[in-house]
Amino acid sequence: MLLAAVETRKIFGGTTHLERVLFYLLSLVVLVVFFAGLGLRVKKYMAGRPLDAGRFRRARVPLEKPGVSAPIPLAQTGVDIAANRTVSRRNHAVGGAHLLLFWGFLGLLAATIIVGLDYDVYGNLTRIFGGKELSFFKGWFYLGYNAVFDTAGLAAIVGAVWLAVRRIRDTKSSVALDYTRAQKPKSGYSRAAMTAGDHLFIFGLILILFTGILLQGLRIDAAGFPSFERWTWLGYTVAVGFGALGLHGSAAGSAHFWLWWVHILMALAFVAYLPFSKALHMISAPANLAVRDPGNTRRLPSPPSGHAGYQDFADFTSKELLGFDACTKCGRCHAVCPARTGGAPLSPRDLILDLRQYADRKRGIPMVLDWEERPDQSGPKNLEGRLAGEVIEPATLWSCTTCMACVEICPVGIEHVPTIVSLRRSLVDAGEMDPTLQSALENIATQGNSFGKSSRMRARWTKGLDVPIPDARKEEVEYLWFLGDFASFDERLQEISRTLARVLTANGISFGILYEDERNAGNDVRRAGEEGLFEMLVEKNMEAFSKAGFQKIFTTDPHSFNTLRNEYPAYGLDKPVMHYSELLASLISEGRVSLSGLGRKVTYHDPCYLGRYNRIFDAPRSVITSAGCELVEMPRNRTNSFCCGAGGGRIWMDDSVLAERPSANRIREAAELDVGYFVVACPKDYAMFSDAVKSTGNEDRMKVVDIVELFAEASGELALAGAASEEAPES
Amino acid sequence: MKIVVAMRQIADLVEELEVDASGADIDREFVKFVSNEWDEAALEEALCLKEAHGGEVVVVGVDDVDFDQTLFGALAKGADRAVKLSCGFEGWMPTAVRAELLARWLKDESFDLVLTGVQAADDLDGQLAGVLGARLGLPHAAVVVGLEPDGDGFKVTQELGGGVTLTSHATGPLVLGIQAARQAPRYVPISRIRQAMSAGGIEELEVEAPTARAPKVTRLFAPEAKGRAEMLGDKPSEVAARIVELIRAKGISVS
Repeated sequence: MLLAAVETRKIFGGTTHLERVLFYLLSLVVLVVFFAGLGLRVKKYMAGRPLDAGRFRRARVPLEKPGVSAPIPLAQTGVDIAANRTVSRRNHAVGGAHLLLFWGFLGLLAATIIVGLDYDVYGNLTRIFGGKELSFFKGWFYLGYNAVFDTAGLAAIVGAVWLAVRRIRDTKSSVALDYTRAQKPKSGYSRAAMTAGDHLFIFGLILILFTGILLQGLRIDAAGFPSFERWTWLGYTVAVGFGALGLHGSAAGSAHFWLWWVHILMALAFVAYLPFSKALHMISAPANLAVRDPGNTRRLPSPPSGHAGYQDFADFTSKELLGFDACTKCGRCHAVCPARTGGAPLSPRDLILDLRQYADRKRGIPMVLDWEERPDQSGPKNLEGRLAGEVIEPATLWSCTTCMACVEICPVGIEHVPTIVSLRRSLVDAGEMDPTLQSALENIATQGNSFGKSSRMRARWTKGLDVPIPDARKEEVEYLWFLGDFASFDERLQEISRTLARVLTANGISFGILYEDERNAGNDVRRAGEEGLFEMLVEKNMEAFSKAGFQKIFTTDPHSFNTLRNEYPAYGLDKPVMHYSELLASLISEGRVSLSGLGRKVTYHDPCYLGRYNRIFDAPRSVITSAGCELVEMPRNRTNSFCCGAGGGRIWMDDSVLAERPSANRIREAAELDVGYFVVACPKDYAMFSDAVKSTGNEDRMKVVDIVELFAEASGELALAGAASEEAPES
Repeated sequence: MKIVVAMRQIADLVEELEVDASGADIDREFVKFVSNEWDEAALEEALCLKEAHGGEVVVVGVDDVDFDQTLFGALAKGADRAVKLSCGFEGWMPTAVRAELLARWLKDESFDLVLTGVQAADDLDGQLAGVLGARLGLPHAAVVVGLEPDGDGFKVTQELGGGVTLTSHATGPLVLGIQAARQAPRYVPISRIRQAMSAGGIEELEVEAPTARAPKVTRLFAPEAKGRAEMLGDKPSEVAARIVELIRAKGISVS
């Protein structure tokens, strides 16, 4: 049997020797530019500070919690990258389109590499060493190659067109795609170049993909439709289209020649452009995901040695510098940020872009259409100014509530919060802060609490309890109850603390408190940037723990919970730490208490430091549903919960400058649900939302209650006084 | 310019102060002692003057409970020297005695300014600057709210009653009681205080017991309540009627 022809195509078919030389020369230049660009970036990362256990790795501490304080396993990151899981999160349409483009592009990259391996490597090796140039790019391999990679090409085109259309269509309506700065420079600014860069990237990519498919069609058309090319199904279909338009033979061949050069020049330009543009994220994003460690936000890194906080470029870690380069300006952090939402001069995206431009300018790395322009030398153009205070405005840094929503949603694994805290540390070191924050820190330093009350008043809330609370310093208890400042000193919350005490006593829980020896746990002190005070508080609390007899700790405050659970182990705390919602839920699940149905319609607010930070979502919900309440979720719930605005020391700062307080924004969201109760599991939330319910005029419609109040009422231990007046239980 | 800042500890007023068994002093057993806030304003003014015009800031005081904390805080903020005068004195120190101890030490020092807080919780009359100035034979002023070098001396702004301020020129050395510094006292991070602590640097001087004559406290007691606030109720018409009645009763003419 005679084969009419071998199934293959001629590489560089239709080009002259001179053209081929020109192609290789251009390719060489492009590769030099590409690797020089990557080299500049790698050198930039190496100029940053290594972490404590390696260039991108931090030291382990005892009691790390998987999914919370422990690093994400590489295998999981591999799956996350392969499945574009971080891109798909909360946006499956964009995620799906990106996944098509991602795999389609990888497929075409593989296709190009295979041809290169065959023609340039295998072909040359066999010619030099075997005397005869061989090729494996033929027969069944050729057919399969074309069938598979045509599919990849189509996937890439569909994905790219989808994303381009979405960008054009949604730019006006989407908060995320709006490049307006949250912090407005006095001199004005323009991000037109960034927008142009976005369009160049996506439309350039689409053009390269389209011309590639058209080339296939022209080639098959010019070759007279060999039947085996039906395997090249997309190209064949296009060829049929050309045929139908009357383009045949040498005309098709000539069109192929010109289009080939157009395609090749664009593709080569793209390779050279990649390390200097938004396209860099194709490399930097997976690299950053591989070293991401959201545990850094739950357990903040220590300051660089010799510096209180970040002062210049060299203080950034290699990991942070890589993270800046990974940003694609997708704006998801910008959209979820409670500070930005409230009108504060902070957008996590702007912060990262500013720091990236600052770092690139410092290192002299050019960028193609990825700059923000401004007429003066302020912000990221200020290379000689103070990093915290001039490059980044103090008001920007102080606006962060450390709610971690940005870190949670960032598809490329950027950790904004530790960077913000590191910059805040420099402001604190210079004494530059809100006067109200200053007095809170001074109060904590002298009295051990932010209320500025005598530490001897800390346990005064226990007066009025029938059964006194054991002193854990004097008698052995199972649980040490760590209340935190608000639950101890705020009059609105003291009654809730007493309710929790009564519930625990009634259910036979062995617990005690530290009385005047408890100090502010330091979670928010640390996040405000006062590392020295945080360490002092840790020492004081650890000393108090060492004098007490207990097996476990539970806290009222999710903020205290976070630092005790995730940060204190590095200072020697080796006891399990729980939140009171977990304790209440365990009383229910163990059958130690039976609750009667309250029949209320409620919503629940996930505190940032309980939910997003520590992944405790179900315990408070089980208390609510066990108490016979119908739980109606707010649109933003669980990991997407919206901060009350109090975290990271914000509760000690002036928020009257905000257009809308985050707590008010949240109450408006809840008010849409037609529920009578807004259930919280955090003392700061109780304080913030009680105010917000009043300020938004929802006092008559919604009452803020703590889960322990529901628990107590449902177990018959307490009648909830003054429930929202008109709320009908059957509604 | 060399500026001496005289500082002192006072009982922390967030604590509930109690009178001790003698009936003539507060119970010092459980009370926390903190830096006098007006002395902190004096320190802030001294540091601002130093930053603006150069010079040296020396902090001095008579040893008291936790006085080291205050001195380390001052060093961390930028004071150049911290001096602690110890004489084993216990209990409440009358201002006359404090002035004597400070004056003895200052006699041998050279300086352009001595700044101290205009008052303290246990010196509400604000005597320290005046007594100290008299003892040293130097010009002195109190309730100072502004201070600038001015030619061969200083321009001193004082707050008088009725919203009037007085500016005068005085050639140093001067002793001034500071009411307010040009800016709120700065925050000093704990890490800087700890650095100051580990660096040491407090000069501790044993001094002779004071001889100054001072009044003896015979009785210390909480203010006695003089009647209570009267709540006027919540019906506007009744409240208004009661207010008119009260105004008439006080003899204020309502024409």
